[in-house]
Amino acid sequence: MSKRQLAYVFDLNKCIGCHTCTMACKTLWTDRGGREYMYWNNVETHPGRGYPMNWQQKGGGFKNGVLQTDGKIPPMEAYGAAWKYNFAETLLEGKSDRVVPHEKPTYGPNWDEDEGAGEFPNSRYFYLPRICNHCSNPACLAACPNKAIYKREEDGLVVIDQERCRGYRYCVKACPYGKVYFNLQTQKSEKCIGCYPRVEKGEAPACVKQCTGRIRFWGYRDDKNGPIHKLVDQWKIALPLHAEYGTQPNVFYVPPMNVTPPPFEEDGRLSSAPRIPIADIEALFGPRTKEALDTLGREMQKRREAKPSELTDILIGFTNKDRYGI
Amino acid sequence: MNNSTLMKQLAAIGMVALTAATASLAASAALAAPTAKTIQVMSVKDGDAASPQAAIWEKAPAAQVALQPAFPGHSSIVGTPVTEKLVAQAICLGDQLYVKLAWIDRTANTVIGDTNKFADGAAVQFPVNGKSTTTPFMGDANNAVNVWQWRADGRTQNLLAKGFSTAMTVPSEGLKSASVRTDSGWAVVLSRPLKVKPDEGANLLGKSTMPIAFAAWDGENEERDGLKAVTLEWWQLRF
Repeated sequence: MSKRQLAYVFDLNKCIGCHTCTMACKTLWTDRGGREYMYWNNVETHPGRGYPMNWQQKGGGFKNGVLQTDGKIPPMEAYGAAWKYNFAETLLEGKSDRVVPHEKPTYGPNWDEDEGAGEFPNSRYFYLPRICNHCSNPACLAACPNKAIYKREEDGLVVIDQERCRGYRYCVKACPYGKVYFNLQTQKSEKCIGCYPRVEKGEAPACVKQCTGRIRFWGYRDDKNGPIHKLVDQWKIALPLHAEYGTQPNVFYVPPMNVTPPPFEEDGRLSSAPRIPIADIEALFGPRTKEALDTLGREMQKRREAKPSELTDILIGFTNKDRYGI
Repeated sequence: MNNSTLMKQLAAIGMVALTAATASLAASAALAAPTAKTIQVMSVKDGDAASPQAAIWEKAPAAQVALQPAFPGHSSIVGTPVTEKLVAQAICLGDQLYVKLAWIDRTANTVIGDTNKFADGAAVQFPVNGKSTTTPFMGDANNAVNVWQWRADGRTQNLLAKGFSTAMTVPSEGLKSASVRTDSGWAVVLSRPLKVKPDEGANLLGKSTMPIAFAAWDGENEERDGLKAVTLEWWQLRF
């Protein structure tokens, strides 16, 4: 257990699926050196197969406190290789009349964007941005026989010591979120580092700082004046993703509520039921989902009645200091 | 082999379920005569032993070495290794020791070309202090082991370990390997000068005998790390 723990809250009601977070991470950390295929940060459409493909069925994590060894190591096709385009041939050399990838892609991050589920006009989806959860009980750390993975004492970020890693990939197998990647070039495993070089300079992670929808809140769990404590522990409206995996994630989500209009009834009138079934959301965020949504709905109603709400003010996150606590 | 050390290690890593395996190990240790597991090193003044196909290997005594699943040493290491035996030979040529290993492996896994692929491998292990009292299970805090590991993707590594989970690569320019595919598997020669700097591994110069242990990994079976077929006790190289 680290002395302090950095944590994140992502408000799914504000995510517009623009992938600016993904690009911020990609250009800073993973556009080179065998990391080209990796997306330490990704935004996937839910329901959907996600990234890596079908990660929710990959296994790993803990059951009753016991590390599971049934996890799968996703092959490259489950991530999608970092394909390249014939820009030079088409745009400079005139050898082709269209820009196409050199190889036929069969999968990639965000492959099934905006497909979701359901039938028109009642189709449905929402965006699920994902990074390493920097878990308090990381399965990747527990699975490494070589003690190459550790939690930083000062902020709880989970990192892989590249000197110690021997590329066994038990961590890739064990992470139930599919957030540890194997670098074929270096033959070592890598993952989101929580932008610790930025953090050490008092700066928020790139994915957090660049988020145009301002959906990301970030700070120390124990900062009672910070947004994380208020949203997770005080208002209890931010929930961990798949807490049943047993890793105690430190990324929390405000579940989606009315991110799409109500569904249509057979006769064309709008239904009073939510378009996204509560069971869909509970499958991700657990049994406290309804309680969290009730709280959120109650506070939003206050604002509609022109009454003050501390919660909605926090969720708007007017300034960087409001959202990051620093 | 030092069974009390082994029991302490097993207790330390909580491998309580391995009682039966430990009992069988103790039995096999009791049955093994001290001189039974010996590989006679053929000494020659000149010649070429670097290639597994070199003619000189036809003259070197060959030992049939049975392999068993290694003690996993960590709860995430599961599965059963598939290699059951290998043939080991050794030649001392000038100031170099050459060790040839040959074993059955139907599928050549020579590159880690995908995120879920693993390469074939093999290794020999020596106690750095040259004593059989060192546990062959990666050594312990006070008794290091030196591992020469060949991997089919061309990476040959010199490792030092002081117990499970402690293997670290230590540069050793003198460690070399050569390999060929045979009709049924692999033939590999690992070679190194008898004497190296103290922090580079085990010194073999001036020894009349030297404990040696063996390991093989089948990449097709996702074998790596502690998922390997090994000798559970030291053999002796007799110079």
